[in-house]
Amino acid sequence: MADLPFLRIRDLCRFYGRGGHTVRALDGVTLDVQRGEFLALVGASGSGKTTLLSLLAGLDTATSGTVEVDGTLLGSLSRKELARYRAQKAGMVFQSFNLLGHYSAVQNVETALYFTGTPRSERRRRAEEVLAQVGLIDRDSHLPAHLSGGEQQRVAVARAVVKEPEILFADEPTGNLDLENATQIVELLSRLNKGGLTIVMVTHNVVLARRYAHRSVRMHYGRLAEPAEPAERGEGAVGGAER
Amino acid sequence: MTFRDHVTVSAGNLRRMKLRTVLTSSGIVIAIAAFVAMLSFGAGSQRNIEGEFEKLGLLSLMQVSSARPGSAGDTAKAPRLDDAALERLSAVHGVELVYPYDAFSVRVEGADTIRTSKAQTLPVAALRTRLHANLLAGRLFESDTAREVLLSQDMAHDLGLGAPDSAVGRRLILSVRVSTIDSGLAHVLTGDGETLFARLRRIKLDSLMYRNYRTRVLRSEANEALRRFVGGYIGSQEVVRDTVAVAGVRESRRGGPMRGEPVAVTVRTARRFSSRGPVGGPTELFAAMSKGTLFSGSGTPIEKEYPNVSISFNPRVPYSQVRDSIQAMGFRVFSFAEQFESIQRFFLYFDVGLGVVGMIALLTASLGIVNTMVMSITERRREIGILKSLGADDIDIRRLFLVESGIIGAIGTTFGILFGWLATRVLSLIALGYLRNQGLPEMELFAMPPWLLLIALGVGIGVSVLAGTYPAGRAARVDPVQALRGE
Repeated sequence: MADLPFLRIRDLCRFYGRGGHTVRALDGVTLDVQRGEFLALVGASGSGKTTLLSLLAGLDTATSGTVEVDGTLLGSLSRKELARYRAQKAGMVFQSFNLLGHYSAVQNVETALYFTGTPRSERRRRAEEVLAQVGLIDRDSHLPAHLSGGEQQRVAVARAVVKEPEILFADEPTGNLDLENATQIVELLSRLNKGGLTIVMVTHNVVLARRYAHRSVRMHYGRLAEPAEPAERGEGAVGGAER
Repeated sequence: MTFRDHVTVSAGNLRRMKLRTVLTSSGIVIAIAAFVAMLSFGAGSQRNIEGEFEKLGLLSLMQVSSARPGSAGDTAKAPRLDDAALERLSAVHGVELVYPYDAFSVRVEGADTIRTSKAQTLPVAALRTRLHANLLAGRLFESDTAREVLLSQDMAHDLGLGAPDSAVGRRLILSVRVSTIDSGLAHVLTGDGETLFARLRRIKLDSLMYRNYRTRVLRSEANEALRRFVGGYIGSQEVVRDTVAVAGVRESRRGGPMRGEPVAVTVRTARRFSSRGPVGGPTELFAAMSKGTLFSGSGTPIEKEYPNVSISFNPRVPYSQVRDSIQAMGFRVFSFAEQFESIQRFFLYFDVGLGVVGMIALLTASLGIVNTMVMSITERRREIGILKSLGADDIDIRRLFLVESGIIGAIGTTFGILFGWLATRVLSLIALGYLRNQGLPEMELFAMPPWLLLIALGVGIGVSVLAGTYPAGRAARVDPVQALRGE
């Protein structure tokens, strides 16, 4: 029996009612992502990338269709179970970093461990370990306001991976960064991916997507616009995009 | 997320908003301070009264009096509270001591001063009860037959005996005026310089056949006989004296059911005074006349009847059992234990009343918490979204805000208790100064028992957490997608 994809998206729709009109943010997306794959979602603003990511991360609920993560249908989970899924299986990185401004870098990373049942004594040690991995151990006590954009995003990545999730959702993680920092972040994600972490990254940066992702999927008006493109780095597509 | 994590995170959030936290807590501080001060006053008053009951041993004391007849026809049915009744009362199960309240006027002669005062007879057994344990100097009577007297502090002072210690051992002459039936009867026969026969001689025997004359003469002679009897009974009183030594000096206790007469005499002295006839004014005479016992047993004193009797009973026997037994004998019973229960009930209502007033202040203050928390949620929507994206569930978020409300409440309650206590100290000092100036016994008006502190803590934190329920619910319902988008 062939291995099931880690992430199975089937005919996923998300409609909003706005001003008496129905906005079709996602309109029948079907997609598989294999375990260990680095998938880039590209497309213009408003094409539904972030909406898709929110549904995959269990932050939002679909109007119809299914999302299956490692054999579990997200739609069948209660709000509490969805929270546990976000706490333990899925990590998220945002374009605007979304760090807690009143917490230091290490405290921000620790925050992710509040919801995993990690003992208090272990949280700080693990947070410092991960900060060291992203090269920020010497800035651990700094508040986000005292860090550069690139450093903040690295803290955000550290926060997303400190709980050792199975999948990482990155929503335009390079959107607020210059090229150098953007490259560093995507390289960091690529390194994590090589360590076995499945990554779905929304980005406008097609160049970085082609260079580091296994494949790219373009979205257009809530649908997948074209079949997956093989990545430049030569491993070829691990999965495939379907309509 | 553990409770400790909730507290850590919430405390951190409140630290960031110091001014807002302080202002919100201030409402709770004022409300709890008022709540604590009011309940402290209630508790203090209750403690003072209960302490007095305990000190005087009133919970095992009753006062018995004759049932007051509702109509003239009941007079015969009301049992007399006399020596025979005392014996019957002594036999009631649980009763340990029975002694009458027997007050009479007495003339007290000291070395240089003479005073007229009220005296009462107190057996030694009664003096040993807590009710009479108010000796300032000296000792109790050696025995019921001792020629001794106990004076109140004021009486000792009035007699010029000086300080209580110096009064002990001093000799006094007590004297009472007693009336006898014989002197009354003798006055009817020979009083006012005219004999009864001289009066009878003035009656026109032949006119007695006329009804009007007959009636007038009978009425006139009856009135005259009664006037002479009363005049003889009261006017020809005999003075009985007894020389006694001051055994001790007691604290003066004025007014109320627990008053003590300025002079307490032994049973022996009281018997000596009453052996010749009733001691005191015409009250007992009229009582005997109304009962038709005036001339029963001619030549003997009027049978003693007491206005009321004190009963000390075993505290292990329920007061209701003793009370019911005595009431069944036809007497009226005043039970201090029963009164104590009424007082306790009153204080329960009193405390609830004070608590309600405090609660109104607290509920008003809690609106401040609701306002602060709702504002906080509006400002921290993004933070809530981040926490949810990291895995916080609705319960975590709800708890986070409930704990914040609870911490505001705990801070407010702690300082409220402190300020409430300080307020009671200040008020207590003012009250003590006032009592001292008025020459009244000093007492602590406020009490801060542990239950009050626990109630204040529970109510303060409880109401605060309750106030946080609505904002916490709103926080838990925040949509993380919208919150992260900054909508």
